[in-house]
Amino acid sequence: MLGWLVLLSVTAPVFGGAISVQASLADHKPFAGAVVTVQGAAAHAPSAPMSAIVDQINLAFVPDLIVIPVGSTVEFPNSDSVSHQIYSFSPTKRFQLPLYHGKPYPPVHFDQAGIVTLGCNIHDKMLGYIYVTDAAYFGRTDASGAWVANNVPRGAYHVSIWHPLLRESAASLERDVTVGAEDSTKVEMQLTQPLRPAPLQTNARSRNQY
Amino acid sequence: MKTLHALLLLSPLCALVPGVAAALDWQLSADMRLVNSDGQRSLFDGGLGTLRYDDAHDGLQVGRLRLALTEPLGEVWALKLDGSYWGQDETHSTGLTEAFLEYRPYPIEGWRARVRIGAFFPPGSLENTAAGWSSPYTLSSSAANSWIAEEVRTIGVEGKVEWLGTRLGHDFDFGLTGGVFGWNDPAGVVVATGGFSLNDFQTPISGYIGARGSTVFAERQLFREIDNRAGYYVGGEARYLDRVTLLALHYDNRADPEASNALTGAFAWETRYDSVGVRAQTESGWTAIVQWLQGHTAIEPDEQYLRWRFYSQFALLSYQRGRHTVSARYDEFGVDSGAPADLGEEDGHAWTVAYLFDQSAHWRFALEWLHVTSEVTNRALLLAEPTLAVENQTMFSVRYTIGSGM
Repeated sequence: MLGWLVLLSVTAPVFGGAISVQASLADHKPFAGAVVTVQGAAAHAPSAPMSAIVDQINLAFVPDLIVIPVGSTVEFPNSDSVSHQIYSFSPTKRFQLPLYHGKPYPPVHFDQAGIVTLGCNIHDKMLGYIYVTDAAYFGRTDASGAWVANNVPRGAYHVSIWHPLLRESAASLERDVTVGAEDSTKVEMQLTQPLRPAPLQTNARSRNQY
Repeated sequence: MKTLHALLLLSPLCALVPGVAAALDWQLSADMRLVNSDGQRSLFDGGLGTLRYDDAHDGLQVGRLRLALTEPLGEVWALKLDGSYWGQDETHSTGLTEAFLEYRPYPIEGWRARVRIGAFFPPGSLENTAAGWSSPYTLSSSAANSWIAEEVRTIGVEGKVEWLGTRLGHDFDFGLTGGVFGWNDPAGVVVATGGFSLNDFQTPISGYIGARGSTVFAERQLFREIDNRAGYYVGGEARYLDRVTLLALHYDNRADPEASNALTGAFAWETRYDSVGVRAQTESGWTAIVQWLQGHTAIEPDEQYLRWRFYSQFALLSYQRGRHTVSARYDEFGVDSGAPADLGEEDGHAWTVAYLFDQSAHWRFALEWLHVTSEVTNRALLLAEPTLAVENQTMFSVRYTIGSGM
């Protein structure tokens, strides 16, 4: 069976380290698109809030996964010509945007860390995620499964990864690392379960449905 | 001219379009067919053939003209209307096939509720998932779902509750559905008289089936209340991610088989059936569907209980790559008659092969070959013809669709 291997290496230059994360399959294929968060054990200022956009194109959220700092806002324009009705029942942020075209609503404010699952009350297959984090450093792995945080002050950190298709328990996706005088710290994670299959693409079979 | 007449009948729906709110969704489509058939006289012409088009109806035909509207009423209610014209042969074949109010409250804590009030198809088909209860795989529906489209409709209220496990990080969703309905007492008369057929016709709510003056199958309305007893259905659904769907339904119109309409003499047909189906889809474009339906219909004229047991099952395999879809389906169906002289007994099977090309959101081109072998006792009893019929129908379809969603 496939498993995921996540390799963490930590290097610490004189004025701060660069935390680099390499997420890969057990068979060495890269794990692209995984959410990476790095939280400091000591008090670190969280990232500044941002403004993001999750569009709705061809009956899908675009992008279908974003990572934002706590306090950020997200706009949900509907670029389709059919109406959408966006909702979240996730405890992190419950909200509803009644039936609409275009961009009639102000951005939604996300003031609590956690995962928000997005849906459309008209088009059941639409599915999206907003990962709201209070971490000092965060991002997503690139096509080669890599992610890097530069200029990280010395100290203890908690590194975790997440993806909507993971079957793993949270504990197996977390590591404590120390950015110290040493040049680097290397962490490897061997995951035991494969990802869930990705959702099937919207195709002609649903094209004429509304 | 008849086409024009049909469009005029649909015009009250069209009249809603110009003054609509921004959120109104609408869709208009025209499906024209070029048909080659050696089939016996069809059900729509009062015969016992199993095809939609018989050998007297080759050439250019109107497959379906359809107008569908979804009008939001406030935030969580919507009015849905689906009207069609089905061509010149189906008597009184213009009208609404579905018309209902839908209540769609927002899901709460992973639970979602849906309520439909009005006239609509009961759940249970894994095949008829495209717009207007059509099939995205073939032109003609399976025998099981052709029968549903001809004879079965919910005119009442339906409630559905779903647990959206996949939105909570799980692999499964589950749903339970229940419906209470009236005006479906004649359901069963078609399958008991002519057996199963394979077509894409849907009897309009106010429409008729059969043909005027036919001694075999005279025109009759199917969606009527005769015994003033409500029917019900209960169903369940389980989904594994968006890959595998399992559907089950138990339907019972609770008709009193002794009851009949004092004016027309039409009986209430006691019809019950169970339906179970599985659909599996893969990332590489394959879809497989297996559906099984079994039940009975009965009447009791002069204290003589006459029952016809019926069954229909099919397996469909479809492959989609880009805009191309190729599908093959095998149907088996039959009616076991409990009436004197085996009136209405049937045994049959069919092969369907179809190629669909979705050139764009507007244009679809389709080619379908349908081969049906059936033995129907009524061909000998009512028409003095051989019971066995082998029928072939080839259709080329061009469909153009416009709408607010494209």
